[in-house]
Formats: sequence, structure tokens, C-alpha cells
Amino acid sequence: MTSPSTPKTPPVPTGQPRVSIKGASKSFGDSVVLNGIDLDVQVGEVAVLIGPSGAGKSTLLRCINGLERLTAGSVEIDGVRLQYREAALNRMREHVGMVFQSFNLFPHLTAIENVMMAQMSVSKRSSADARERASALLARVGLEEKTESYPSALSGGQQQRVAIARALAMSPKLMLFDEPTSALDPELVGEVLQVMRELADDGMTMVVVTHEMRFARQVADRVILLADGGIVEEGPPEKVLDNPESDRAKAFLRQIESNG
Amino acid sequence: MEFLDALATSWPTLLKGLQVTLLLTFLTLFFSVILAAIIVALKMSKVRAFSAFATVYLAVVRGVPLIALLFVIYFGIVSIVKVDAFTAATIGLSVHSSAYVAEIFRSGINSVHSGQVEASRSLGMSRAATMIRVVAPQALRVVIPALVNQAIISLKDSAVASFITVDELFMSAQRLSAATFQPLTYYAIVSLYYLAVVGVMTYLSGRVERYFKKRG
Repeated sequence: MTSPSTPKTPPVPTGQPRVSIKGASKSFGDSVVLNGIDLDVQVGEVAVLIGPSGAGKSTLLRCINGLERLTAGSVEIDGVRLQYREAALNRMREHVGMVFQSFNLFPHLTAIENVMMAQMSVSKRSSADARERASALLARVGLEEKTESYPSALSGGQQQRVAIARALAMSPKLMLFDEPTSALDPELVGEVLQVMRELADDGMTMVVVTHEMRFARQVADRVILLADGGIVEEGPPEKVLDNPESDRAKAFLRQIESNG
Repeated sequence: MEFLDALATSWPTLLKGLQVTLLLTFLTLFFSVILAAIIVALKMSKVRAFSAFATVYLAVVRGVPLIALLFVIYFGIVSIVKVDAFTAATIGLSVHSSAYVAEIFRSGINSVHSGQVEASRSLGMSRAATMIRVVAPQALRVVIPALVNQAIISLKDSAVASFITVDELFMSAQRLSAATFQPLTYYAIVSLYYLAVVGVMTYLSGRVERYFKKRG
């Protein structure tokens, strides 16, 4: 694993993008949450979605792995168009990991069983193989001591690291993070961001919804600012965060800064 | 001390009846849990006809008194195939109980946070695997107290089987009271029997609940 201070060279957009979103719209009843979004994420890229609450960041993320159904437009992963049939969805999701704000660990299973579950149920690995891999992944996120603990006995930061290991167990080619540190006590945020930083350094393709501006600045290849269901501004972090063009982006960043 | 005499002399008869009652209760529970699982699966199905069938089933079973249901099943089945009263009672009680167990299952499933399903589905697990490996184990903990309560109700409901001549505990008391002209004594005694079994079931359910609490 490279050290987090190593500067990353942003991936050059050659060949097929890992994720390609075209004209994505989503409404819940009368309220339009996403309004014709176009977005490509390249292989190995870390795309960070920021924006005011209600901008549609989480919805966009959830549309990528089909937890929400687009009203119009399309999502492609490695050139394969997302379909909502059960079998097609399951096949796609095997390769797309998701980490939630509220961790959503399975409370009736220990940490290692959480990481073994999908390996056995979906990938049909033997219990021994799954355990070995889970154990290695838990060590990778710094939890080798906690393999036999139930989620209720873990801190929020530890739970979220188990959740990341659980997603990694399926060897995803894309990881989605939905405000992974928003439910954490401030002193636990760092350990989760550290794991994500290492993942980015290892070349994982990531789409991250977050309010952590420092993380966006240090790890993102591209920052995408969403507001009112549309992309307001996108580009390298230093451009979007320090020299935004639109008034909407300036207003949002001012607000973030005044909150510390 | 007539009562104590009656208590002391009646036990061989009542114990035989109790055996039938316990067997009937156990079978009722067993089949109603299976029936309820099927009904819940149908109810949650995306196929409109399946969920409609489940809705009608629940409405009918819950809307008809147990004794009427039992009579309809007993005389209905007897008119087609020859079955004994015990089998008919098992079917009737199971069908009756299944509607309530189905509601218990449904509330248990609803009690599991939607994030659990999302996490499971995001890993590529199918709807069925999610239900079996993620939702059901968590729902089970929630429903156990309600399920034990339903078992207690089934035990007491099984007395109705005496109406279709099943020789269970309540029927034994009926026979004793008819033979001795002491209805009060024997109905009081048989009540004690029911009370004792319910007491044991309540105690066991407390143990089970504590076990699950400990596992977090």
C-alpha cells in the first residue's frame, strides 16, 4: 500500500469509462430529485460528490447500483446497461460495493461472518475460503482483533470499517460511499477516511458522497458539485473548491466554510 | 377434601387427555408456522393473484369463529374423504392459528430496518437469500415472544376440538364430570392443568428471550 502522502496522478480518460450516466432523471412523485445528469467515472478515478442536502447526491449514488430506479436516462457499468430485472441486478451488484451512512452491518452476525456472508451466498465460496479472505480483509482495515465481535460491541468507526471490508470481499471494481462518516463521532471519522484513502491509493474506482472537504481535497481526482438535481460545477478539487465559477457553488462553499 | 380426592384419583384420565392436547397443540404450531410462512410469502409476492389470495385467506380465517371453521372443515372433509376427528381438528386449528402467525411474521419482517435489505441486496444477494439469511434471523428474535403467546392461545383453543369428539384434555374432564355429577370440581381441576402447562410455556419463553438478548 502506498503512503497516503504520495500524490496521485489522475487517471487519463482513455477507453471505456467504468460508470457512464446519461440523462439520468429521478422523481419521487411530483418532486424532481435528479434532472438529466450526465456523468462518466473513469477506471481508477475517485469522484467525490458534494452539495447541499437535498441536492440529489445520495439518490444519484443509489441509482448507480439500482437501489433507486431512474425515471429516465441510463446507467452503464463497464459498458453494460443497468437493467432492473432481479438476475441482472444481482450480477451487476456483485461487482459494485456500497458503503452506507448507517453502516447496516448484519447485527446477528459477528464481524467476520458479516464479511463472509456474501462470499458464501453469492460467490459460493467454501466457509474456509471465505473465512480466510474475510480475516485478511479485516486485518487490512485494522480490525484483526475484532473478528469475533458482534456489531453492537463495536464503535461506529469500527463498524464502518467492517462494512468496507464486507463490500471489498466481493472484489468490487467500483465502490460507492454514501456519506460514510456522517453518522460518526468526530474522533472516529479519521480512521474510516484513512481506510478509504488507502483504497484510493490502491487504484479502486470510487464514487463518494461526503461533507468532508479535506478528504475531497486530498483524495478526489474530481469533485462534482450537485445542487437542485443538477451538476453545478465539476473538475479537480483545487478548481471546484478554491476557484468555483458559478454563484451557486460559491454560496455553498461559503456556507460549508462558515460551519467550520 | 373431596376436591383433593378428585384431584388425586382423576390424574390418570386427565393425563391421557393432556397428552392428546399437547400433541394437538404441537401439531397446530408446527403446521401453522409452515402455513403462515407460505401465506406471508404469497402476501409479499409481486404476483398480484398470489397476494390477493393471501389477503382473502387472512380475511376469511380471521373473520370466522374458530368453532365454525372447525365444524366446516370437519363436516366438509368428512363428506369428501374419511378422516378422523383428530386430523380434522389439527387441520382446523392449524388453519385458524396460521392467520395470526402470519400477522406475527409480517410484523417481525417489517421490524427489520430497510437498510439491512439494502445492504444485503447491494452485495448481490437475491431477494430470497436476503429474506432467509438476513431478514428472517433478525425477525425471529422479535417474533418469539408473540409466537409463544400464540402457542398458549392454541393450547387453550384446542379445547374446542372436544366439540368434534376429539378425546383431549377438556373432553376428559367432561366425561369425568358427567360420570360423577361434579362438574364444578372437574372443570376446576382441568383448569389447573391448563394453567400449569401455560405456566411452563411462559417460563420457557422467558428463558428463550433471555438467550437471544444475550447474543446481542
